[in-house]
Amino acid sequence: MFKKILIANRGEIACRVIKTARKMGIATVAVHSEADKDALFVEMADEAVCIGPAASKESYLRMDKIIDACKQTGAEAVHPGYGFLSENAEFSRRLEEEGIKFIGPKHYSVAKMGDKIESKKLAIEAGVNTIPGYNDAIAGPAEAVEIAKKIGYPVMIKASAGGGGKGLRVAYNDQEAFEGFSSCVNEAKASFGDDRVFIEKYVLEPRHIEIQVLGDSHGNYVYLNERDCSIQRRHQKVIEEAPSPFVDPDMRKAMGEQAVALARAVNYESAGTVEFVVSGATKEFYFLEMNTRLQVEHPVTELITGLDLVEQMIRVAYGEKLPIAQADVKINGWSMECRINAEDPFRGFLPSTGRLVKFQAPTEIPGKVRVDTGVYEGGEISMFYDSMIAKLIVHGANREQAIERMRDALNAFVIRGISSNIPFQAALLQHPRFCSGNFNTGFIAEEYPQGFDASMVPHDDPALLAAVATFARLRYIDRAVQIDGQLAGHGRKVGSEWVVVMGGKQYPMSVLHTANGLDITHADKTYSIVSDWKFGDLLFQGTVNGAPICLQIERRGLRYRISHFGLQVEPIVMTERAAELLAMMPEKLPPDMSKFLLSPMPGLLRDICVAEGQEVKAGEKLAIIEAMKMENVLKAEQDGKVSKVVAKPGASLSVDEVIIEFE
Amino acid sequence: MQEIIRQLDEKRAKARLGGGQKRIDAQHSKGKLTARERIELLLDEGSFEEWDMFKEHRCTEFGMEADHTPGDGVVIGYGTVNGRLVFVFSQDFTVFGGSLSETHAEKICKVMDHAMKVGAPVIGLNDSGGARIQEGVDSLGGYADVFQRNVMASGVVPQISLIMGPCAGGAVYSPAMTDFIFMVKDSSYMFVTGPEVVKTVTHEEVTAEELGGAVTHNTKSGVADLAFENDVEALMMTRRLIGFIPSSNREKAPTVPAIDPAERLDFSLDTLVPTNPNQPYDMKEVIIKMVDDGDFFELQPDYAKNIIIGFARMEGAPVGIVANQPLVLAGCLDIKSSIKAARFVRFCDAFNIPVVTLVDVPGFMPGTTQEYGGIIKHGAKLLYAYAECTVPKVTLITRKAYGGAYDVMSSKHLRGDVNFAWPSAEIAVMGPKGAVEIIFRGEKDDPAKLAQREAEYKARFANPFVAGARGFIDDVIMPHETRKRVCRSLSMLKNKELENPWRKHGNIPL
Repeated sequence: MFKKILIANRGEIACRVIKTARKMGIATVAVHSEADKDALFVEMADEAVCIGPAASKESYLRMDKIIDACKQTGAEAVHPGYGFLSENAEFSRRLEEEGIKFIGPKHYSVAKMGDKIESKKLAIEAGVNTIPGYNDAIAGPAEAVEIAKKIGYPVMIKASAGGGGKGLRVAYNDQEAFEGFSSCVNEAKASFGDDRVFIEKYVLEPRHIEIQVLGDSHGNYVYLNERDCSIQRRHQKVIEEAPSPFVDPDMRKAMGEQAVALARAVNYESAGTVEFVVSGATKEFYFLEMNTRLQVEHPVTELITGLDLVEQMIRVAYGEKLPIAQADVKINGWSMECRINAEDPFRGFLPSTGRLVKFQAPTEIPGKVRVDTGVYEGGEISMFYDSMIAKLIVHGANREQAIERMRDALNAFVIRGISSNIPFQAALLQHPRFCSGNFNTGFIAEEYPQGFDASMVPHDDPALLAAVATFARLRYIDRAVQIDGQLAGHGRKVGSEWVVVMGGKQYPMSVLHTANGLDITHADKTYSIVSDWKFGDLLFQGTVNGAPICLQIERRGLRYRISHFGLQVEPIVMTERAAELLAMMPEKLPPDMSKFLLSPMPGLLRDICVAEGQEVKAGEKLAIIEAMKMENVLKAEQDGKVSKVVAKPGASLSVDEVIIEFE
Repeated sequence: MQEIIRQLDEKRAKARLGGGQKRIDAQHSKGKLTARERIELLLDEGSFEEWDMFKEHRCTEFGMEADHTPGDGVVIGYGTVNGRLVFVFSQDFTVFGGSLSETHAEKICKVMDHAMKVGAPVIGLNDSGGARIQEGVDSLGGYADVFQRNVMASGVVPQISLIMGPCAGGAVYSPAMTDFIFMVKDSSYMFVTGPEVVKTVTHEEVTAEELGGAVTHNTKSGVADLAFENDVEALMMTRRLIGFIPSSNREKAPTVPAIDPAERLDFSLDTLVPTNPNQPYDMKEVIIKMVDDGDFFELQPDYAKNIIIGFARMEGAPVGIVANQPLVLAGCLDIKSSIKAARFVRFCDAFNIPVVTLVDVPGFMPGTTQEYGGIIKHGAKLLYAYAECTVPKVTLITRKAYGGAYDVMSSKHLRGDVNFAWPSAEIAVMGPKGAVEIIFRGEKDDPAKLAQREAEYKARFANPFVAGARGFIDDVIMPHETRKRVCRSLSMLKNKELENPWRKHGNIPL
């Protein structure tokens, strides 16, 4: 076996590869950018080599520096992870020339599958179902429109070298095809240095289902069942699961055999993924593309098959034979993965960067809860790389149990300092349509057409949260009344009747001290809460009426901020009399901020698209903010006239900073 | 006898109704509670002992002899907050608009005198239209009697003012001399002259809210310490504040049972200070992760944000925290922040509350605005406050401690008891760039050489060792052990005794 391998990647996947290498007794080398010098994967690796500045182009994409690092450290093989150079045939070839093993497919397989047009031709030859589309290079936007018309709208315009949702546009008419083509070409050029794009039929109500394949250098192939990645937001996967609630054994076999046929057609050696788009109505499936690398969502396959895919990749790269045949591949239970991203779901999923003031992932339980991450408490989420900071993977005997475990695990996932999509993930896991398994890739767009806001997080028992707030308040008072310097014999008499004011509603609560907790009654329902929670703990764990509960709680002035199943509330607990008096206070309306364009995130103000005195229409571009490599266009929410441009291009903005004032 | 009891009940009922139901309803509709409702929420349930319920004014001018309401527009007495004694007066806007008469003032003086005798805080709930004009100079005399007592009580018993309605003209000077001022948004305002006078004299158009509302005094003037959405929240938070402060200068600050372990380590602090000296970070994270339960009672959070002040507990015992905030103006000291911190340090010193100072200060803010504004004397206030302060003083330098600002921020030289530094600390006369440009002035045309000099200077001085070698720093500690080390230091200092020489009073540069 290899003595030492280098991981040409960063973040959670680098950590993930290091873990397996360590298990196999292989030494590891991390390569990192200057921005990542304190990253977890650098710390975890046996050796680390800095290969350049923060920008990926100058570090993680520099083949020469990575090869130098191999020579310098004596690494015999390179695992590329996903993204960066993982599907770069040239990298794979150059490594081979240098006598360094690429832990992945051979460069010719990568080259053939990396090109979307080429791969489709190959698929057709191998007898794989493909979508109607146009596979040749397209000269310009005008030709793109002609092609789109011929195929029939909607069409999808996609970068040949693209992947993971980058460089992809959907057009429903000529104008969109025209514009989409141009922007797609630009993005493809910027992101992949390859501006070729292709056009094909956009399948409506599609499910994204992919087959994991594994091949070795001895001509053996297996398919390791499917993953359903239909829960996507703007073509970015959000939740993945294996198996798919949609796929039946016959379909699995058909898809698996086609996937293997394709892998065989390119002499594929390593782990790879054949993506299909599956029609929710007809069960027809079409080949989409083959990812010639380890996928982000590979852990769900690992949890249902019991295989370590990274280990298999390393063994195959070393020349070993696959340890299993197709008949050995089973499906054990159900697995699900949530991608935890540094983004703010309540602000249009804009990226959130900064310091991880708190980061406590749920406790890993072998076979039940797994956390793949590359960050740590006190670390920095930089604007240079993508926003995924962790993957939360669970396993259950069936889908229901997996969902339940995921909900519980999300409750226990503490992230502070930056925003995360956990509330959104929690809401998805509560959604009846998600739970039914009847969804397609349009699910999020259809169910959350106006975006996501706090009111879209259901909670079936808000009074429970009010009861927990009461519990916390009484813990506080129990200590407060032990303060010294009291008038002897005239201590405070703490009453048993309390009122929780939460979301404009009052919840009366009666409290009874029990042997090891509190019985808190609201409207004839009693919550027997037992918990050793103390102030300062962000996780509230214990039991309510005997059932375990885990939620997050922190004190903010007089309020408690409680998060549970994605819902965030800020109750305030007071005496009955205080609540009675509070009810007499007129409700204050929040200040009208519609006259201002506020920065929704911290970032760099790239451009102001309007001038003072200009009339704007709802939907018109106002400003562009750059954060986390992404340009975010701020549009007018309503018609109006610009009275003042407050921020200047080039300024770095904080959240809620005023950019433009309207009349 | 029966008749007297009947009359008593009648009088009590009348007094309790203040200015009558109509005025009570009007008070509520303005988003304000009545004087008695406020006391109910401030004090432990059922603990209020009222005095002078039947006191009436003695004015006979302008037909006032026929107009009497028992209590005369202010409710006074004492009660407890979590079992601890406090005195309270609460002005009743429903009675003569809460205006201050001679007798109204006498009532306030009564609780203040008692508070001084027994050593307990005075909490004033202000909601008054001003002087009782009908009484003329009697009313003015009444104000001055209160002022005099405010001054005599200053530093002896804590005084807290809640502004819950109008507080204008001379009336503002009583709260101004108390230790803390809390205001309620939209329903309270404080100013020396109101919008009408302002308009006549200076032709400025300004609303009462803009001129002296809660937001104004919490962001622009620094007169107030906190602003609240409504009376209920203001009163609940006042109870919390009282938990941090001793009843008088004769007592130690009150402790509660400690739950948070003193040895708790927090490794995330090791990565808090960025390697780039110009990159800011949030000092509040150090505070939150250092103090008991992450519970920090910040004062003046929206004023002079380049310095942070507030109360917290360490092992159950209150401490005052003063910290430079690198997120705002790089954490430099300027006029506003110096005054803000100086007053807080003096409060802590007067009331036996140890001071923990977190330092990341690049120096004093330069510029004509500052110099013309008198930064010399205002900056000196903070220096004076720290130098005169005799309570336990624990200081931690997290990053920059440059120049005179280093001296000011509770340095060893100002009798800092324990002075720590993180490894990222740079204690020097100024930043490397500035220092090199002065020392090697002759090489200013040779950027390469200057850069080399800067690197040399950095290696030599931009660290805690030079100060450590002189004993100006007692130890260099790892960020993750901050809580443990500060807790131990405070525990060691528990019985600290230090007295300044006798004098009538010092002459702080006002």
